[in-house]
Amino acid sequence: MRTHKMMRRILLGATFLFFYFPILYMLVFSFNDSRSLTHFDGFSLQWYDKMFHDAGMLEAIYYTLVTAIIATIVATFIGTLTAIGLSKSRRIIREVVSQINNLPIMNPEIVTAVGMMLFYVSIHMEKGFMTMLLAHIAFCIPYVILSVMPKLRSLDDNLAEAAMDLGATPFQAMKKVIVPQLMPGIVSGALIAFTMSFDDFTISYFVTGNGVKNISTLVWTMSKRINPSINALSAIIVLMITITLVMVNLLPIIKEKAEKHHHPLSKRVLQVISLCVVLFLAGGLAWLKNGTKRSMDSSDAIAAFGSDTLKVYNAGQYIDPAINEAFEERYGVKIIYDTFDSNELMYTKLQGGERYDVLVPSDYMIERLIQEDYLQPLDHSLIPNEQLLAPQLQGLAFDPTQSYAIPYFWGTVGIVYNKSQVALADLEKEGYNILKNPKYKGRLYLYDSERDSFMIALKALGYSMNSDAEAQLHEAYEWLRDIMVSMEPEIVTDEVIDAMINGNKDLAVVYSGDAAYIHSQNEEMEYFMPKEGTNLWVDAMVIPKNADNPLLAHAYIDFILAYENSRSNSLYVGYTSSNEEVLEELSAEGGEFAGNAAYLPRSDYELDELFHYNEQARKIMSELWTKAKIAK
Amino acid sequence: MNTFKRLTYPYLIWMSIMIIIPMALILLYAFTKAGNEVATVQFTLENFVHFFTDADFLHTLWLSLRIALITTILCILIGYPIAYAIAGGDEKRRNLYILFITLPMWINMLVRTYAWIGILSDNGLVNSILQWLGIAPQKLLYTDFAVILGMVYNFIPFMILQIESQLAKMDRSLLDAADDLGASAFQRFIKVTLPLSLPGVISGITLVFLPAVSSFVIPKLLGGGGYMLIGNVIENQFITVGEWNFGSAISMVMACIIMISMYVTRKLDKSDDVQGRKRGKA
Repeated sequence: MRTHKMMRRILLGATFLFFYFPILYMLVFSFNDSRSLTHFDGFSLQWYDKMFHDAGMLEAIYYTLVTAIIATIVATFIGTLTAIGLSKSRRIIREVVSQINNLPIMNPEIVTAVGMMLFYVSIHMEKGFMTMLLAHIAFCIPYVILSVMPKLRSLDDNLAEAAMDLGATPFQAMKKVIVPQLMPGIVSGALIAFTMSFDDFTISYFVTGNGVKNISTLVWTMSKRINPSINALSAIIVLMITITLVMVNLLPIIKEKAEKHHHPLSKRVLQVISLCVVLFLAGGLAWLKNGTKRSMDSSDAIAAFGSDTLKVYNAGQYIDPAINEAFEERYGVKIIYDTFDSNELMYTKLQGGERYDVLVPSDYMIERLIQEDYLQPLDHSLIPNEQLLAPQLQGLAFDPTQSYAIPYFWGTVGIVYNKSQVALADLEKEGYNILKNPKYKGRLYLYDSERDSFMIALKALGYSMNSDAEAQLHEAYEWLRDIMVSMEPEIVTDEVIDAMINGNKDLAVVYSGDAAYIHSQNEEMEYFMPKEGTNLWVDAMVIPKNADNPLLAHAYIDFILAYENSRSNSLYVGYTSSNEEVLEELSAEGGEFAGNAAYLPRSDYELDELFHYNEQARKIMSELWTKAKIAK
Repeated sequence: MNTFKRLTYPYLIWMSIMIIIPMALILLYAFTKAGNEVATVQFTLENFVHFFTDADFLHTLWLSLRIALITTILCILIGYPIAYAIAGGDEKRRNLYILFITLPMWINMLVRTYAWIGILSDNGLVNSILQWLGIAPQKLLYTDFAVILGMVYNFIPFMILQIESQLAKMDRSLLDAADDLGASAFQRFIKVTLPLSLPGVISGITLVFLPAVSSFVIPKLLGGGGYMLIGNVIENQFITVGEWNFGSAISMVMACIIMISMYVTRKLDKSDDVQGRKRGKA
């Protein structure tokens, strides 16, 4: 019997260690002095400080809480009423409703999410807070009904009848007789609803937009780069959850104890306690809301531009946040800054009817947007800084007359290699085919982008990267598939930056700007542009036709181009500036990026190409790339 | 009583809009061609043919089912003894242990999964410990192992809670009876405890298998960008590729698979019930 008990203890101990270790690990590293997630370099509160000064994070916490609270209240209310109604309805109605109710519970979350997204798109409802809230209410109600129904079954029907016979109205009967008896079911339903909403990722991911993020979707976008602020955020969540749970678990105990001692808590005391909780919550929310806004006088902006908000849609981790703050301060406006993972994602959102004032897509996508009439021509008189553009960036093929787009950053695609592990001679001899050299098996990263991967394959095979000949695309697919099968590459997105700085692998396909940053952090890592040619790309600022604030959008574009902003942006992000003076200063002797081969793109090399928009080729590449990844 | 009946009306309307219409839209998209305006809908089976004739997509489906199955089996094998250990304690302890099991479930799943990245990465905690012990570092992150670990970590509480509640409900006198009739501890477990706890195991299976087969977050975070399960393919079709019709078709395929597996497990449960009742009568 003794050993039995011991074994039980050990088993339970190991279980709780397994459950709590990752959480503890996160809490510990939220106090780390460095960015590392693996070495503790001393105690610091810097990540908490960062978090409390990060408007995006505070906003996400705010939206998460507001959504969870409203969704819980509404879902509990509707769910309880519906359950009471159902218990009195005919059996057939009860059956049908509970079957349909089961759909969101039984269906995989992603299916529910996709359905909601299609629904919002087809009624042209703009994605944002409202769409997220409605979706949350929708998936919470079934859980409330499910937890209230069993209590109703054990409820004596005659009680309500008796109450009404004694003169109670149906409403009174419900309030005084039915609801109190259902309380345990209602409370547990509300708790489930709250957690479901608070933790939801999948559904929110598909139905939010326009810069509205909850904690989960924010963590999702941040998790690509090592970001210890996530740990600080988690610590706060753990704290909030613990407080809530302790309250929920302690209150009944206190109540019971008081009753045992014949001093039942008076109604007054309970009211005071609940008032305190509500005030505390409201105060917290108000504070969070405040933290997301800077106090400013926006009346000037409304007078000058007709509005005080500007919606910008840019790639993730692609701006120095100080620039947006400076713009907000100078013009007295608020920027709603939303980010995308890929041009295609941006296009999907645009197609779904979302409205932005400034977009920063890539060359080929701009070509497509122009063709499909999504953009409005720029008013050059409102962008005096246009003359500061580097000459290489004028008259580019996707917008030859410069009517629609002002370049933001530009660069190439190439290979970052660890110079102590990879011989430059090998690279020069083999070019892209080094990715197939068995010497480096398991030692390389590929970037998860169909375009860049096919560019490499097509170039390695000696074709144009704009090829749309199906035979050539299939040959390129075989080339990529071969790497997947035989070289054990790891397919990554932005996490490649930290991984290469840490020296995890020897070779990686990256964008020149990321390479410049990697090199500046770890000098062993050099950048190489193969002689077979590469993709010369330009990301540029454009204004969509349906922009609400074209005037302010022009001001923003002009602001970004200015010397000091372009400079700080380039220094912060590591990508090549489109401002000629900044470009020359930073790459010249003594500049920040002097001797950094990745910073200054190779120009006038005949095998380097710009991407052209070709929907047919894109679809083929997209599908073949998915298949190549699956083949791994 | 008619007054109460009317309470359902608002929800009937809400339900039709927020549950039925979205599902109907998935059906519509799955069976139509891309780029159709509502006026010129063209029905087609092309999307399904595309999926079922492509070896690579089928392979992903197979991989997802395999990973979900392994996860479910591991959850049963690990979760059962834990549930057994918890159910053996007195009421107060049990409630405390259950609180400890549920507490992590309250913390955001993404955040909990993210924590494993630091632990499993190439120069992460596990590898540091291995190195310190003089064992060569292992590749842990971005492998099947990491994905399965993440799934077991996230979903095992469901299994434990289901089995535990079933075990706790069990009539103790049955065990005493088995003892009195001379059953050994092992026989007692096999003949009495295990059959009585099966309903818990079965509802645990649905609660684990369902999210495991459709998850796209855990494979992406712990399996890396190149790790494709069926959930990732759907996400990919909707978010990056923009092929909503094909994506809807795959969603339908997945929903059907889940419905079928739920139906089968329920059937298993029911047939067991009947047997149990028969035995009870005899």
